[in-house]
Amino acid sequence: MNNFMVLLKGEFQRLIKYNIVQVGFGVSVLWVLVLFLIGRDQAADFVPLFIFMDAALMTILLIGAGLFYERQENTLKSLMITPSKMGHIIASKLVSAVYIALQSALFIGLLAYFFFDATVNFAYLLPFTLLIALSHAIIGYTIAVLVEDFPTLLATLMLYMIVFAFPSIFYALDLFGGLWEIVLVVSPTHASFLLIDFAFGHDVSTTLIVVSALYLLLLAFLLARYVVFPKYIEKAVRE
Amino acid sequence: MDDVFRVEDLRFTYKKNGVEAVRGITFSIRKGEIFGLLGPSGAGKSTTQKILTRLLKNYTGTIEYLGKDLKSYDNTFYEKVGVGFELPVHFSKLTGMENMLFFQKLYKKNADVEALLKRVGLYEDKDRKVGEYSKGMKMRLNFVRALLNDPQFLFLDEVTNGLDPKNALIVKDMIREFKEEGGTVLLSTHLMNDVEELCDRIAFISGGEIREISTPRDLKIKYGRRELAVEYYENSATKLETFDLDELGENDKFLDIVQNRTIETMHSGETSLDDIFIKVTGEKVHE
Ligand SMILES: Nc1ncnc2c1ncn2[C@@H]1O[C@H](COP(=O)(O)OP(=O)(O)OP(=O)(O)O)[C@@H](O)[C@H]1O
Ligand SMILES: [Mg+2]
Repeated sequence: MNNFMVLLKGEFQRLIKYNIVQVGFGVSVLWVLVLFLIGRDQAADFVPLFIFMDAALMTILLIGAGLFYERQENTLKSLMITPSKMGHIIASKLVSAVYIALQSALFIGLLAYFFFDATVNFAYLLPFTLLIALSHAIIGYTIAVLVEDFPTLLATLMLYMIVFAFPSIFYALDLFGGLWEIVLVVSPTHASFLLIDFAFGHDVSTTLIVVSALYLLLLAFLLARYVVFPKYIEKAVRE
Repeated sequence: MDDVFRVEDLRFTYKKNGVEAVRGITFSIRKGEIFGLLGPSGAGKSTTQKILTRLLKNYTGTIEYLGKDLKSYDNTFYEKVGVGFELPVHFSKLTGMENMLFFQKLYKKNADVEALLKRVGLYEDKDRKVGEYSKGMKMRLNFVRALLNDPQFLFLDEVTNGLDPKNALIVKDMIREFKEEGGTVLLSTHLMNDVEELCDRIAFISGGEIREISTPRDLKIKYGRRELAVEYYENSATKLETFDLDELGENDKFLDIVQNRTIETMHSGETSLDDIFIKVTGEKVHE
């Protein structure tokens, strides 16, 4: 088995042992319960929002908190002194975070399709969820490698949500005010939201979809290349 | 040239707080020896180890490993190197065995994990979560972790820290065997005992500088208290008297005690880290 596969297998083993898969699933179940409470009539409108929250916001939190937790256990140091490549170490963690998001999207998407008469195009939903989770995992890393400690991480995540996520949520709920328009243009969360919306058959122009997808890809690449990679070792090693 | 590591004028400053932890140290580690870095807390031992294991990169000075610049190596460097950290480095929710198997698969060459676990007395507990291990158990697992890839060079940072005497003995035996089989070791410690029992040569480090490179024996002779403490029985009480080792044979009081009293114990002065530290720097160790 090559090192990447060993790392990946290890990540999945830990997703289960550290109860992350279980918690992720629990959150999905929670969303579904909320959908039932909202009632059949309006539930379909909320499905994209919930999937988006899972794929974007949960992923940032998972990756950010995960890095700090591993730093505390000193296991990253132990990984750094193996012949594994840096890229493989980071990639294995990204894949496992993406997996969690896909699992939720699929679960919520299927239930929405069968119970709430939502129009879901899975051929769009899954790749878009992948892209959203991947880019947000990298955003999560970016925040985690730039802050000093866990409380600052949490504060920064809150700030990130206020600046980027809430406008999209207000927008989704038609509470959108012109004030946010500027932020929405460069908000990765908003780009994500458009993609999910599209997968649920909402009317979004093809140009906007292509631009959003490319924007997320480019952002992910740039952050990974110029922030996460150079800073990761330094962050992993410090006590 | 049989140097495994050649370190010249190595300096390192932690960016975060501006602490210059290593201040221009020069030394080399010969193939097949156990080289000790001895020094008080905060001396820069762990920092030096982290630099040599390539975990800290922004150093100045030169480090050569097997005749080539350390910076010229890629991560295959770690195939033949084992690293024992001063703090536990395991996934707490995985068992000891799960931890070892995961890390081991990342190397091409593999040691016999079960045999290693048996040797350090962890085999019975191999299926318990590491989070439930005691400190000494975690440190023993750290030691096994360092040996997973059957390395040729071993870095050990405070390897006997938290071990009871029996387990410390086992670990020291294993280090000696590692050397006998041709391995080379860098051992960082603040324990005079470890150094005396294991090291061929030592560098005494404090304040980020090497004060002296020597053998344990020379260090002891140079800095040890040349004195003898004698406890003897007199007038139904135990008395303690300390004598200078020099010209002991002409010391009347000593000869009188040896000839006419019941001696209970006799100890020559043991060199402690404190003694060396005070003599080298003129200060006391704050530990
Ligand atoms: N991660 C870090 N960030 C900032 N400063 C550090 C860090 N680690 C160590 N230092 C500082 O560098 C100096 C040397 O520390 P180091 O850990 O190398 O000492 P040591 O000799 O290993 O001590 P000990 O015996 O206590 O393990 C100390 O002044 C310490 O405060
Ligand atoms: Mg140390």
